[in-house]
Parts: sequence; structure tokens; C-alpha cells
Amino acid sequence: MTGPALAPPRGFRDILPLEARELRAIERSVGETFALHGYVPLEPPVVEHASSTLPVRADRLIRFLDRDGALVVLRPDVTTAVARLVAQRYATASGALRLAYFGAVFREEPAMLGAERQHDQAGVELVGVSGLVADAEVLALLAETLARCGLTRATIEVGHLGLVRRLLAGLDAGATDEVLAALRAGRVVEALARAGAGGLDGPSLARARHVLAARGGMPADADLPETAELAETIALARELYPGDGSDGPYVANVGLLPDLPYYTGIVFEALSEGVRYPVAAGGRYDELLLSFGTPRPAIGFAIPVPRLHLALYQSGWRVADERPLVTLRPSRDVRAALRVARALRAKGIAVALGDVAEHAGLELVPLEVVDERTVRDASGRRTPVDLVAARLAG
Amino acid sequence: MRPLRFALAQGLLLSPALEAVRAIGLETPDRAADDRRLVVRAGAIDFVFARPSDIATYVERGAADLGIVGQDVLMESATRVLDLVDLGFGSCRFVVAAPTSALERSLDEYRHLGSLEVATKYPRVAREHFERRGIPVEIVKVAGSVEVAPRVGLADWIVDLVATGATLRANELSVVEEIATCTARLVANPTSFHARRAEIEPIVERLAGRTAVVAS
Repeated sequence: MTGPALAPPRGFRDILPLEARELRAIERSVGETFALHGYVPLEPPVVEHASSTLPVRADRLIRFLDRDGALVVLRPDVTTAVARLVAQRYATASGALRLAYFGAVFREEPAMLGAERQHDQAGVELVGVSGLVADAEVLALLAETLARCGLTRATIEVGHLGLVRRLLAGLDAGATDEVLAALRAGRVVEALARAGAGGLDGPSLARARHVLAARGGMPADADLPETAELAETIALARELYPGDGSDGPYVANVGLLPDLPYYTGIVFEALSEGVRYPVAAGGRYDELLLSFGTPRPAIGFAIPVPRLHLALYQSGWRVADERPLVTLRPSRDVRAALRVARALRAKGIAVALGDVAEHAGLELVPLEVVDERTVRDASGRRTPVDLVAARLAG
Repeated sequence: MRPLRFALAQGLLLSPALEAVRAIGLETPDRAADDRRLVVRAGAIDFVFARPSDIATYVERGAADLGIVGQDVLMESATRVLDLVDLGFGSCRFVVAAPTSALERSLDEYRHLGSLEVATKYPRVAREHFERRGIPVEIVKVAGSVEVAPRVGLADWIVDLVATGATLRANELSVVEEIATCTARLVANPTSFHARRAEIEPIVERLAGRTAVVAS
């Protein structure tokens, strides 16, 4: 006879205490940094309408009909939800909205890849402001967030959609869209062939190929307005957050085109050595809110938390400033143990009564209660509770 | 930082791929035909030898930074890699083929029964092609010798990769239509491409330059 299924449904998994504790530490650092820059939290629901504005291919969405017959989707990203929310709740707001989120997103993955269908994403959206200072603000916030989480060696590659469009100037709108779609999918050979067929002249094609397929960095002809914009944005970001290197973590890279259709201006990805996917991605998306009926400039980024966690783990990171967990073994007088627990917790010391089966990587300090003022440590030495409290709290 | 990893497909593409790598001035691994080693250092690069269909996976997941692989593999696996340079060699075609003698009968069957059976080793390429054409088909996935499928009644048509067409002719099949022409491609992992541009750029530039020269 088979019992009930114990494993969660495909693509979902249980996060056990050690991992959860590390994820909560990341969430704290991220949230504190966002707050330091004036970003306030918001929480859209995990279920959204299955509209066509979603940036993820239909076959990667987890959709279902609810009991009203409405087609709904487990949100594949939060940015689209924030855009919808802003269009509804802040339609008449005139100033800047600085919004932050930390929550689960859901994507369908091929069954055989063992990939997850749910993960946490942290991010911000700066809505209602355009210009280089706003771009620099978000870029610097990403750099500072990663550093405050403990990832000090990430680089942030910064590209510019306007500059890519400039390289394709001369193509009609339809051909430009097709070329950009191919570039976003990584099909550079096809994109350049399409650009050539669309009438891009030889020298322009050679320049586009050189910049997009090989060199990256900043195009050699620095007189383009977008080139100056990109350089200035990075300079401003350095003012806001220089990092510990001389140039900061920012690297101009025109060859960068993230696989999301809604970007219109600067785009960026954070890379960490040894992690095979970007640990964060973002950019300016001035037209997304228009699709919800409220034209409003906007820029933001999202951090897939498991990738940041992986990058931190690989760099040897552990949760900082964790106090140990005291496990109290009661004597015959149970009440004495309860009073000792109360006294230690009043000093901010974590206490569990009795044995602990899962300590989630916390250091354990086993103490045996002698009476309500005295405990015995693992080596059998008797110590006053006050002294233990002072030592552990210090 | 670990050495740059360059994955090469074993099989038909291996010798032209090694020749291309040598032609742009890189050291190539000194490896006899019966060498069982799958990762071989040459100069500053680790060359990884793998099955063609695995190259795209290696590069997509960053186990290799660069790879040389047939476009046919990229199309069938739908992996997310940067397809950077058309290397020009290893040319072959994805085609739809049907028994030379029974083409009219299969079309008649399609009109009456509304659907065709198509045998192939490349179900994704086949499905996407017939979806684009608006023809309902039932895809029959086989692991090899697809040419035999119409003869034994497994399927009406086949979708296969052909280089010269000799195998088709030997099995009395003719091309109904061409789906795509495929060549060998230089592909890169997107993250490696951005993070290790200084090492990758000259390889891309020289391979692109060589292809332009060979083609003209």
C-alpha cells in the first residue's frame, strides 16, 4: 500500500530552517537598504489576470480557471503587477513613487530540468521620474543592496536599448522589432541577417556586429547622445554608491540585452563570478504603464533571491550577528527552568526548553538548570544565570 | 578564475571545428582519434568534447563558456545561448520528405483524413514547422533510421536532417519542402560572454573574420 504523497508537487519544494534562516537574513538586508533609499514596501497578490501584458511566454505561465470562470495566473513577475496597481491606485499621483517588494513569483519549467516553479524575488520600481539621475539612483541602489547583503565582488553590466536602436537606425519599425526580438533571444546571427535584409548598410552592419556580437563595452564613436548618457549615468551612480573599487562595480556594456520585452532605456544585469546566471536584472521601461492606460516613466530591478543566495554561499558568506541558542535542561524543579528561560530571554538571548532536533545551523549552548539563579554548562561548571546572560548578550 | 572552457561536438563537426580553431591561431588539443579524455587543456583553454546534443546544454548552463554546435541542435533543443557566428561549415538541411511514388496518395489521404503522420528524430522542429504551415500532423518520435518509416507504414512523411540527399534517394524518398538550412555556429553562455569578454572577443572576431573570408 502506498501512503499519502509526501513530496510537494513537481517544481515546488520545502525550504528547511537552515536555508530559510539565511533567506530571511537576505530579506532583512535587502529591506533595510531599500528603506534607506526611501523605498516603501507594497504587496500585490500572487494571483493576477492572465493578460497579454505579461513578459513571459504563455507556455511558461502557471494559469488556471478560477470558480468564476476567469483565467488567472500565478504572477511570473512583480513588475507587471506593480504597473497594474500604480495605474489603478496612483493614477492621479504626480510625484515619484518609490516602491519595493519581496515575494514569490511562479514560472512553469520543463519537467525534466528539475527547475523550480516558485522562487522569491526582491525588487524596486521607481515610477514617475525619468532622466539620468533617476537611472543612476536605481543602479546605485542595486549595487548597494548587493554589497549590504554581503556580495562585494559583483559587477553590474549596464547597456542602453536606445543605443542598440541607434545602431539599427535606418531600419523600419517592423524590422527593428524583429531584430531586437532575435537579439533578446540570443540569436545574434539571425538578428544581423535580418538587419542586412532590412536594408542596414554595410558599415552600419559591421559596426552593429562588432558591438553586439563581440566587443560589448562602449561603442568607439562616443559622439552618439546615448553613449554620453550611459557614461553620465554611470558617473552619477558612482557618486551615490562608489563601492570599494575605484571605478565602482559598474561596467558599460552595449551588448547587453536582457530577455524581457518591455525595456526602453538603460538596462543592467549584476554578475557574480561562478554564478552562471545574473543575480539581478533591471532597466527602464517607460511604456509598460501605458499598456495599463497610465503613461508614466518607470525604472526598476529584480533580484531572484535564490541566485543571490547561491552567489553569497559561493563567496563563503554566513548569516552575520547571530546569537547562539541556549537549550535549557530542567532540573526536578520545572518552575526554576521556566524562570531561567524568562530571565535569559529578557536579556535578548534565544532559549529553547529541552532538546532541539533542528538547530538550523545556530550555535547551541546547552545548560542544565540547577536552581533559578544557577545553571551548569556542558563541562559541568556551575555559573550564575546573570553571568551567563552577560556573557551571551555581550 | 578557471580557464575558458570551449565545448566541441564530437562527430562530423569535430574536424572542421578544430580546423577553424587552429586557423585563428589558438592552440588545439593534441588528441588522437582513440583518446578517451573528454577535457583537454591546450594553451589557456580547456576543450570539452561532448555529444552534439549536449553542447547546447553545457553552454546554456555555463558548464562551458563557448561551444561549436550545429544550428540544427540549437533549433531542436531550444536552449538559451548566444548564437554569435555562422561558421559556414557543416551545412545541412531540415526537410520534409515523402515516398517518391506515393506523394499523391498521401496528399489524398490528408484531404480525406485531415491529418498526416510524420516520423522524425526532431519533434520540436517538426511540430513548429507544421504549426506555422497550419497543417495538422501527428508526430511520431523515433530514435534513428527515420527513412524507413514510410516504407513500413509507421508514418506518411518524415522530417529529417540531410546533407547530400543520398540517403533519401536510396530509400525512394523525395523532398516535399525545405524547413531550414543549418550551419555550424559559435555559441556562448550569455553570462560568460559578458563577464569574460576580454578573452572571448578575439575568438569571436577572428572566427567571424575567417568565415567572411571563406565565404567570399
